[in-house]
Amino acid sequence: MPRLLRTYGLALVLLTFVAFPLYWMTLTSLKPQTEVFRVPPTFLPATWTLEHYVSLFRLTDFGLLFMNSLKVCLLSTAFALGVGILGAYSLARFRGRGKEAYGRLVLLAYMFPGALLVIPLLLLFRELGLTNGHFGLSLAYLTFSLPFVMWVMRDFFASVPIDLEEAALIDGATRLGALWDVVLPQAVPGIIATGIFAFLFAWNEYLFALVLISDESLRTLPPGMMRFVSTTDTNWGLIMAASTLATLPMALAFGLVQRYLVTGMGAGGVKG
Amino acid sequence: MANVRIDRLHKEFRASTGAVHALRELSLDIADGEFVSLVGPSGCGKSTALRIIAGLETPTSGRILFGGRDITGLEPRDRNIAMVFQSYALYPHMTVRQNLEYGLRKRRVPKPERDRKVAEIGAMLQIAGMFERKPRQLSGGQRQRVALGRALIRDPEVFLLDEPLSNLDAKLRVHMRAELAALHQKVRTTMVYVTHDQLEALTLSDRIVVMNHGVMQQVGRPEEIYSRPANRFVAEFIGTPSMNMIEGEVSIEGGRPVFNGPGVAVALPEAPPRTPGGGQATLGVRPEDIALVAPDAPGAIPARVTVSELAGPERFHFVSMGGGSVIVRTPASTVLHPGEAVSLGLQPDRLHLFQGTGEDAAALR
Repeated sequence: MPRLLRTYGLALVLLTFVAFPLYWMTLTSLKPQTEVFRVPPTFLPATWTLEHYVSLFRLTDFGLLFMNSLKVCLLSTAFALGVGILGAYSLARFRGRGKEAYGRLVLLAYMFPGALLVIPLLLLFRELGLTNGHFGLSLAYLTFSLPFVMWVMRDFFASVPIDLEEAALIDGATRLGALWDVVLPQAVPGIIATGIFAFLFAWNEYLFALVLISDESLRTLPPGMMRFVSTTDTNWGLIMAASTLATLPMALAFGLVQRYLVTGMGAGGVKG
Repeated sequence: MANVRIDRLHKEFRASTGAVHALRELSLDIADGEFVSLVGPSGCGKSTALRIIAGLETPTSGRILFGGRDITGLEPRDRNIAMVFQSYALYPHMTVRQNLEYGLRKRRVPKPERDRKVAEIGAMLQIAGMFERKPRQLSGGQRQRVALGRALIRDPEVFLLDEPLSNLDAKLRVHMRAELAALHQKVRTTMVYVTHDQLEALTLSDRIVVMNHGVMQQVGRPEEIYSRPANRFVAEFIGTPSMNMIEGEVSIEGGRPVFNGPGVAVALPEAPPRTPGGGQATLGVRPEDIALVAPDAPGAIPARVTVSELAGPERFHFVSMGGGSVIVRTPASTVLHPGEAVSLGLQPDRLHLFQGTGEDAAALR
């Protein structure tokens, strides 16, 4: 019994640590401006209001920012998965000189800080005419999402029994055919999970979006929301409302695929 | 249908400790419709050989020919082979029907013909009732049948089997072994079968290839392999319990070759096929070729029983004689007790003699 209590106690502490900021963000977005700064703070709003949400759509271009973000993130996730899956599969399956070194290089690329990349990327993109565009920004996001996808998917592919592919090759499939017909279906949970994370990284990205996009109509959410902060005044209610709406799609996505994330891969085809 | 010629096949793997020779100069001709087993302990190169025939592995040198056509450089899909894997390798996300027809789809066989073949295979292997199930909903024996069916459905030229029975429990294994033999009788496709189980090789094969350390030790019909093993390794690997081995020397006494081991002196038949020039030798005798004889019989060897095991219709007696120990196989009705003194008689015409004492010691008779 005390052990059970300790386990749940610890879980509660962790839950508070993770969930409280989300709770506070949502609550603040539903409080009237006057209540936001009240001391002592109210843990449930005395007055509930949607005024911040209304002004978010009336007074700001939140809708545009949201759609821009969505477009860039979907594009970059598609690129990252398309290229990353092929790369990860090669790293997992093909024998070759320097393969291990290349695999470690991928991890190194993932750990490379974005702040070091952003200026060289800006110079390069300006030459190529890729600045001020969603296509260019999604390419820039590949600097972190592609190594991530390759690193994680490599382990997923390595865990798919090689017999399955060999059976497909003998049954008449090409390499790519075997990958598509037999390997990818086994790796679906992995692909979904990695895709969501790749999307999330791009969704929250601030620095690249700020530097590579200067046209206001092309801005994405994180730098766009910073305009709610001015030198004289910070509209916390507005920022919290925008943050809540920005968090919602990711929370929904995780909720929907939770089943996939915990269900193991289709057992039974091999031994069992 | 095709005959298979394996021509000086050689395979080296590069490892951190240097090159590992998985296969050394393997040459073998397999007739059209023949059932050939590659048998040996793990790491003997049998699986490597099969994977090279399948095209899943590239040989370092050597060639493979199907019906006279050199296929060494072809992709697996261009070889018209089928393979059954030890793990069955059924596609977990596909139903039994989808598993069976995957190869046909890849070869763009039209749907009516696919359906006809699936039905035919289903009837042949008694899996017709489970077409819509996923592999994980099948028992081990059913999965095994689906794996066989997926290979059979394509009418391959050559059928490759990689330890297909080793994941089944003992009873089912014997059953599937008989089914496999019956299946080969029926379809008469060239089959290459890899196993570490010498009993499977003996019961199923037209011919057996015994391998060790990447080197072919002997090729022959099961009865040849069993009764005339080419060297000490084959003699010990084939047969359970193993052939008894007694190390000693051969000398000529009074014009006749005699084997002298620890506590054993055996006069060899007068005219052995090849008379050794004396020196170290190993005498091999199968447990069933040792008889219990009267103490005063000519050539009787005094011995003492250490353990006696009942194995159903027969008994295995562990008997110490001289410095060593041998196993004697008798009917179950012969009851011996530990500590009991017995006399052993060796049948001269059933003895095996190997030159030297290593596992590559060649048979002299």
